[in-house]
Amino acid sequence: MSGSAEASRWRFLITPRWLAWHALVILIVVGMGWLGYWQLRRAEAGNALSWAYTFEWPLFAIFTVVFWAKTVRDEIHPPAPVSWQEEAGLPAGARQRGGAGEADGEDDGDLIAYNAYLARLAKEVRGHGRWHGLG
Amino acid sequence: MAGGTASGNGHGPDERTKEVRRVRLNVTLYRLMAYVTGVVLIVLCVLAIMQAFVNDEAAVSVVGQIHGGLYIVYLLVAFSLCRRLRLPPGPTVVVLLAGTIPVMTFIVERWVSHRYIEPALAGGTAAPNPPVPERRS
Repeated sequence: MSGSAEASRWRFLITPRWLAWHALVILIVVGMGWLGYWQLRRAEAGNALSWAYTFEWPLFAIFTVVFWAKTVRDEIHPPAPVSWQEEAGLPAGARQRGGAGEADGEDDGDLIAYNAYLARLAKEVRGHGRWHGLG
Repeated sequence: MAGGTASGNGHGPDERTKEVRRVRLNVTLYRLMAYVTGVVLIVLCVLAIMQAFVNDEAAVSVVGQIHGGLYIVYLLVAFSLCRRLRLPPGPTVVVLLAGTIPVMTFIVERWVSHRYIEPALAGGTAAPNPPVPERRS
């Protein structure tokens, strides 16, 4: 019921792609923690510059965790559709974000690439008008 | 997660213009930070190379700390922009790491502008009957 619905919303977190991301996050955090500890030892040995990095590495580790948490949260609770896309009058399907479907991501990629292509076309045309005496 | 999305599902035109303004501000901040962080990183690299010939650690350590501080701000601004533009995790990581590789911020900034920022902000001016896109192989 509501419990299983809740569970299925979180299920994307155990797909291979997301497991790889989790592993990367853990690796980065452990690595940064180790680098911070290494700098702490250097700072204690008398390297003044290392004091800055002693605090910077753990800060980056915290950033990594926060960014990861926000990404997961965005995936579970997709934010409201981007407003300018509504203004552009895109078809509803173009801006709907599913939970975590990989196909969604690819659709978005195609859509973004297509939009970029349109923007490029518009830019090229804008420049040409003047050359042909149309501007 | 407490807080939820601040913008919620507010679709009012007021909310829209606010969001567009926020994105524009974020884009401006991102470009500024990408440029400044990139320039400082290049300066840092030049100094580090010079250090091999002239033994003077002071300049490198000062510029190194400046870059460290700027990179923290760059991370916050860039991640915020990546979220607003709904970048997938992969490209987001590329954007964030760009601040640590010399010259990379400039390249990535151009790529993000072409691929994500321009399409997003040009959304309102897209052609009503766009041509069929080329298939990319």
